[in-house]
Amino acid sequence: MTFATRLLVRDELIGFAKSKAMLVLWLVLPVLSLLGYFLLPAEAFDRGAGVPPLSATTFMAFVISSISGTVAALLISVDIVSEKNRKVYELYVIRPIRPEAIIWAKFLSVFACVTVGCVCALLIGITADYFRGQPLTGGLIYDAFKANVAMVFVIALATAAGAFIGVISKQIVVAVLLCLYGAQNLAIIPMIPVYFGFPEKFWHVMVIATVITLLIQLGAGVMFRRAQY
Amino acid sequence: MVTPLVRVVGLTKAYYGRPVVSDVSFDIEEGEIFGYIGPNGAGKTTTLKVLAGLITKFEGEVTVAGANVVKNREKAHAMIGFLPQACGFQNWRTVESALDALGALSGVSSELRAKRIPELLERFELSAARKKKVKELSGGMTQKLGLIQALLHEPKLLVLDEPLEGLDPPSRNLLKEILRERQRAGTTVLFSSHILSDVEDIADRVGILNAGRMTTSGSLRELMTAFGLPLEIDVELAVVPERLSFEDLGTVHPRKRGESRIVLPDGTDVDQTIHTIIERTLAAGGRIRAIGLAEPDLDELFAQYVKRGRA
Repeated sequence: MTFATRLLVRDELIGFAKSKAMLVLWLVLPVLSLLGYFLLPAEAFDRGAGVPPLSATTFMAFVISSISGTVAALLISVDIVSEKNRKVYELYVIRPIRPEAIIWAKFLSVFACVTVGCVCALLIGITADYFRGQPLTGGLIYDAFKANVAMVFVIALATAAGAFIGVISKQIVVAVLLCLYGAQNLAIIPMIPVYFGFPEKFWHVMVIATVITLLIQLGAGVMFRRAQY
Repeated sequence: MVTPLVRVVGLTKAYYGRPVVSDVSFDIEEGEIFGYIGPNGAGKTTTLKVLAGLITKFEGEVTVAGANVVKNREKAHAMIGFLPQACGFQNWRTVESALDALGALSGVSSELRAKRIPELLERFELSAARKKKVKELSGGMTQKLGLIQALLHEPKLLVLDEPLEGLDPPSRNLLKEILRERQRAGTTVLFSSHILSDVEDIADRVGILNAGRMTTSGSLRELMTAFGLPLEIDVELAVVPERLSFEDLGTVHPRKRGESRIVLPDGTDVDQTIHTIIERTLAAGGRIRAIGLAEPDLDELFAQYVKRGRA
């Protein structure tokens, strides 16, 4: 990581940490999800005879896995378009740094912030289960870990897609629509080989996701470098 | 022969087939203040953005101290301080943190940043606002902040797009003073402005851009001669004799009592005419308080240029 990227990542993290969006992501959303879990009738979590009802941890993992990609894509794309429109980047691009460092910094910081948000949500779920007396079994921990790893890759993929959408969009509305319809669905791409009969190997899927993430992110960097102001 | 610090050769830029800047060429010597003027939409901002590296797709060649602004981008950018027409900062930043981040990205060490940022904030009377969020600043204050970020790394070349826009008269004077100081320290300045009197005040040379073309550049006096604008002498008398006439020297425009402007006919020897005026006044028993060549009027020059461009 270059000096400029490190500096920009640090700054972006400070910026996000100070923003209200992070308060919502790290605290408000997990708490709301947990409230939803407690407010729903117990039958909603009934998984049939002999199977324990859905735990708060699993419920939280389900909720965040369904929204984390969209949240990451929206967060980064809206941020990029809004800063582009306010001409913030003009003062960065004229500095003796590689312009793509700006987009990499955005990617890394949004990825980190959303991942922290998801981990917070899972921890809240685990804590709730602990206080409700539900034992944390090895299977549960393994499932939570696997869900977390998968979620991290989905977040990375969606963040890269969001960055790309942010770079190419001129209006926030366009970026939002593209994210809602496109970025979250990208998470399906690493699964495509499975649909063609290839065996579902967790790490294969993750490698494919990583490659796609890097390709999209590189594309976003190139587009940003070529942008005219 | 000295290589100019800025060299623009055959710069052409079109948007969707419509040329905005056509075959513009000019050089700026090191330590020079070059004023860039032209009507709205003439292509001034486009030229400055090319120099700053914000527009990289264009025809022609643009170099700063020999470094091509596209091929040798980072080297060129290290030498440039740029103020865009509209300055944007991240909303969450305070004045101090915005300057610190931009200074660091320009390669200014933390020790130097700690010294220069308070100095410049003080100079631009923004010290009290240093902890304020950027979004809370007024337009004039944001413009000052933009100027500080351009000056922070003490660049060899300052490229300023409408730097005087939005500033109150004391701040305009302060900026002019700072630019002259920087010039004395060897900095080269290229700036655009609509406020022609300000351009007149600080520019060593002026380039006039109209409809994307710049065919004229030079000192104000050179431009006046090129445009055939008449030379004028201002005379102010402390004691006005009863019989004194300069009508034979040119067209006399009396102003207040004792003050007049004499518009000289083409080809007049200015030095000889001034000598004649002094001799004639003293011989008639008058006393001269001030005499000299009138400063060229950039407004008139600009009007002439635009008129010719449209003809």
